[in-house]
Amino acid sequence: MTDHDTTAPQARTVGRVPEDFAAGLFLVLIGAFFIWQAWKLPLGSLRAMGPGMLPTSIAVIMIAGGALLAAAAIVKGGNLLTRPHVRGLFFVLGGIVLFGLTIRSFGLIVAGPLSMIFASFATDEVRPTEAVIFAAAMTAFCIFLFKFALGLPIPVVAFM
Amino acid sequence: MDLFSNLAQGFGVAFTLQNVFLCFIGCMIGTLVGVLPGVGPVATIAMLLPITFGLDPTGALIMLAGIYYGAQYGGSTTAILVNIPGEATAVVTTLDGHQMAKQGRAGVALGIAALGSFFAGCVATIFIAALGQPLTRLAQLFGPAEYFSLMVMGLVFSTVLARGSIFKALLMVFLGLLLDTVGTDLETGQERMTLGIQQLSDGVDFAPLAMGIFGFAEIIRNLENPEARDVVRGKIGRLLPSLSDIRQSVKPVLRGTFIGGLLGILPGNGAVLGPFASYTIEKKLAKDPSRFGKGAIEGVAGPESANNAGAQTAFIPLLTLGIPPNAVMALMVGAMTIHGIIPGPQVMTKNPDLFWGMIASMWIGNAMLVIINLPLVGMWVKLLKVPYRLMFPAILIFCCIGIYSINNSAEDVYFTAFFALVGYVLIKLGYEPAPMLLGFVLGKLMEEKLRQALILSRGNFMTFVERPISGVLLAVAVLMLIVALLPSINKKREAAFQE
Amino acid sequence: MKKFVLAAAMAVLSGPAFAQAYPARPITMIVPFAAGGPTDIVARVVAEPMSKTLGQTIVIENVAGAGGTTGITRAAGAPADGYMIMMGHMGTHGAAPALYPNLKYDPTKDFAPVGLAAGTPIVIVGQKNHPANNLKEFIDWAKKQGDKSNHAHAGVGSVSHSTGILLNSLMGTKPTFIPYTGTGPALNDMMSGQVDYMTDQIVNVVSQVQAGTIKAFAIATPARSPALPNLPTTKEAGLPEYEVSAWNAIFAPKGTPADVVAKLNDALVKSLDDAGVKKRMDDLGAVMPQGAERSSAALQKLVESEVARWTPVLKAAAAAAK
Repeated sequence: MTDHDTTAPQARTVGRVPEDFAAGLFLVLIGAFFIWQAWKLPLGSLRAMGPGMLPTSIAVIMIAGGALLAAAAIVKGGNLLTRPHVRGLFFVLGGIVLFGLTIRSFGLIVAGPLSMIFASFATDEVRPTEAVIFAAAMTAFCIFLFKFALGLPIPVVAFM
Repeated sequence: MDLFSNLAQGFGVAFTLQNVFLCFIGCMIGTLVGVLPGVGPVATIAMLLPITFGLDPTGALIMLAGIYYGAQYGGSTTAILVNIPGEATAVVTTLDGHQMAKQGRAGVALGIAALGSFFAGCVATIFIAALGQPLTRLAQLFGPAEYFSLMVMGLVFSTVLARGSIFKALLMVFLGLLLDTVGTDLETGQERMTLGIQQLSDGVDFAPLAMGIFGFAEIIRNLENPEARDVVRGKIGRLLPSLSDIRQSVKPVLRGTFIGGLLGILPGNGAVLGPFASYTIEKKLAKDPSRFGKGAIEGVAGPESANNAGAQTAFIPLLTLGIPPNAVMALMVGAMTIHGIIPGPQVMTKNPDLFWGMIASMWIGNAMLVIINLPLVGMWVKLLKVPYRLMFPAILIFCCIGIYSINNSAEDVYFTAFFALVGYVLIKLGYEPAPMLLGFVLGKLMEEKLRQALILSRGNFMTFVERPISGVLLAVAVLMLIVALLPSINKKREAAFQE
Repeated sequence: MKKFVLAAAMAVLSGPAFAQAYPARPITMIVPFAAGGPTDIVARVVAEPMSKTLGQTIVIENVAGAGGTTGITRAAGAPADGYMIMMGHMGTHGAAPALYPNLKYDPTKDFAPVGLAAGTPIVIVGQKNHPANNLKEFIDWAKKQGDKSNHAHAGVGSVSHSTGILLNSLMGTKPTFIPYTGTGPALNDMMSGQVDYMTDQIVNVVSQVQAGTIKAFAIATPARSPALPNLPTTKEAGLPEYEVSAWNAIFAPKGTPADVVAKLNDALVKSLDDAGVKKRMDDLGAVMPQGAERSSAALQKLVESEVARWTPVLKAAAAAAK
C-alpha cells in the first residue's frame, strides 16, 4: 500500500491555493457544465416556461457567486486547500462500486464480503484476517435480516 | 364533548389485545428499518402489505402506521450516531445531534430526541383528533403560489443552517436547486441534463444523494482524521439527559411541536419544512447562536419534535381529504384500498372505529416507542465503541443494501459512489452539505409550484404578491433575510473600523 | 482470500440442478412503479393466489422510473425462462412508444403476453363549482372557454395525462394544461378550485365525488360502475368515442416457452376466479376481464390496438406543445 496517507492531514496543503478560490472555481465549472447541457433546451416564456429556463438561470447565479468567491479569495487569501485522502476515497468508493457490479449477477453472498473486504483497506489499521471474518459474519447477518426478516427481494445467491 | 367520546371510542378499539400487539410489532419493525440506513419505511410497508391481507383493516393500518412513525424514531438514531439522514426530515438532526455524539453526549442526544418526539406525538394526536377537520380547510387555501412563497421562506431560513460562511451556504442552496433540474421536464416531458442516462430521467434520487454526500463523504473524512473519531470512542458520557438538559429543551420542544404540527398538515409534504423551520427559530432565539452546529441540545430537541409532530399531522390530509402528502402516505392509501376503504372525507363517518382507533393507536404507539427506545439508548451508544475499522465496512454494506433495495437497481449504488466523491470534494472545499440538501429537497416542489402558479396566472408574476397568504409569506421571507444579513453587515463595519 | 470467497460462491452457483419442471424456484414479477400505486396493488393482489397455484412464491420487485419504462426495459431483457415476468399497463404497453422516442422495446413484438389482470375505469371530473352539470354542458363549456380553462394532469406519461389528451382531442378543445407530479396534488388544487377539470382512475376520485368536493361528469366504460351508480357512462352522456381504461396485464419476455406461458395464464385465470381477489378488485373499482378476454391472444390484440390508438393522439399533442 502507498504510504502517503499518514496522520496530520492539516499540514498537507496543495501548494498555496486558497480553499475558497478552488471552491469558487468548482462551482463555476459545475455551472458552466449545466449551461452547456441546457444550451439546446428551449427557454420558453414566463407564461409557459421551457425546460431550459430554470437550469440556465440557476447556473448563471451560481457562476456569478462562484466567481465572486474565487475573486475574494485571491484578494484576501484565507485557508489553504488541503490534499485529498486518496486511499480512503479509492477503497470506500471502490467497495461501493464492487457491490453494485456483483449484486445482480452473483448475489449478496458474493457482493457482501467482496465490497466489505475491499473497503476495509481504506485505513492502514486494517487487519486482513479480522476483516474477512467480520465480512463473512456481517453478510450472514444481512442475509438473515434483509432477506428473511424483512423480506426484501434482494438476490442472495445468483439469480434468486 | 364530542372529542372525548370519540377518543374514548378510539381507545376502546386500539386497546384490544390484538391491536396493541400489532402496534407493538409495527413500532419494532419501524424502529429497526429506521435505524438501518437506506431501508426506509416505504420499502418495508410495501413488503408487509400482503401480510396484512389476513388482518382486519383497523389492525392492519395500526401496524403500518406503527412502522411509519417507528421509522421516524429510528431514523434520528442513525442521524445522531453515524451522521446519515435516512429521510429528508432527519437532515437537521445530523447538524447538532452528531456533534453531540462526537462530544460523548450521544446518549443525551438520543434521549432528548426520544422524549421530545414522544411529547410531540402526544400533542399531535390530540391535534389530529380536535382540529383535523377545520385545519384541513385552512390547508386548502394553499395553492401553487402560496406553496412557492412558503418554499422561498424555507430557503431564506436555510441560511442559518450554516456553521461557517453564509455566502457559501447560499451557494450550496443553489447547487441543490440546480441538481433538481436534472430529469424529465414537468410540462413538456422533455429530458434535460440526463446525459442520456435512463436512471436520471426521473431526476436525482434523495437517498443516493443524501447517503453519498453525508454518509460516505463523512466516512472518508473520518478515515482521514483518526484522532477525531478516537475522541468519540473514548468518551461515552451519561446515557440519559440531565435535569438541566431537559430544562434547556422544554421550550424548543414546545415550539418544535407547534411548528412541525402546523406544517405537517399542508397537503404537499409540508412536513419536510418542520425540522428546518424549528432549527432556524431555535438558532435565532438562542442567546449564543454560535453554539449551534457544535452540539447544541436545542438543535436536536426542537427539530426532532417538529419532525415527529409533522409525521403525524401528515395523516390529516390523508384521513380528511384522501390526499397522500408523501410516499409513505401514498402507500397507506394503497393499504386502505386493499382493505376496501377508500380514504377521503367519508372515512370519519363511514368507518369511525377505524378513524378514531387509528388516532388512539398513535398515542399508544408513541408511548411504546419511548419504552422500546430508551432502554436501547445504552446499546446504540455502545455501538460507537466498535473499532472504526470494522464500523465503516458495516455502514457501507447496510447503505449499499438499502440503496439497492429502494428500486432494486445497481445504478443507484453507483450514483451513491459518485455523490460520495462530490460530497468529499465539497467538504475539502469548505462547503457545508446541509444547505445543499435542503435546496434539493425543496427544489423539485418549488419548480413545480412556480410553474403551476405562473401558468395559472398566465405569466403574471404579481400573483405571488397579490394573493394575501402568499404575500405575507414573502414579506416574512424578506424580513428574515434582512435580519439575517444585518449582523454580518454590522460585523463588517466593525472590522472596517478596527482597521 | 478473495479467491476463496469467489470459489465458494461458484460452488454454490453450480450446485442446484437446472432441468426441473417449471416452476422450480421463486418467480420474480417486476412492477415498474413504486409500491402502493394502483398497478402495484393489482400485482400484489393477483400474485398471492398465483403463487399458490404454481407452488412457488412470486416475488414482487418494484423498479420505478420513466413512466414505468425502466422496469419494463429491464424485464424485457431478462432470460425467457418464465422466472422473470412483469406487470405492464396502459402506459408501458400502449402510450410509451409515442411518449419515449428512445424506447428500447416494442410493446407489440418484444413480449410473450400472459394475460389481462384488471382494468380501472377512467372518470371525467371537475371542480365542485363547475358551471356544467352534465357531460354535454361540460363539452360546450370547454369549447367556449378555449385556453381559459385549466386542465390538470398528473405528469407527462401518467394515465391522467394520456387519457386527458385523448379527451381534449375528441372534444376538439385546447385548454391550458397544468402539470402536477401526481394525482394527489392535482386533486387538492381541484378541490380548492384552482384548476377546472381532469381525468383519472376511479379509485383516486370516488371518495371525493361521493363527498361532493368535486364533480363527476361521466365514466369512460361501457357499463356504469357499482361504486358510482348514478354516474352516466360516456356513451349515455353523449361522447361514445371516449372509452378508456387503465388496464394492467402480465407479460413475459419474448421467447418464453409456450407451455410456461400457458401455466402462468392458467394460474392468473384461477387467481381472477378467487373470491378474495374478486372482492379486492371490486373495492378498487377495477373491472375484471371475463371469458375470452383472459387469453394470451386477447392481450396481444389489446396491446396492438392500444399502441395504434395512443400513438397518433399523443404525437399530435406533443407536436402542438412545441
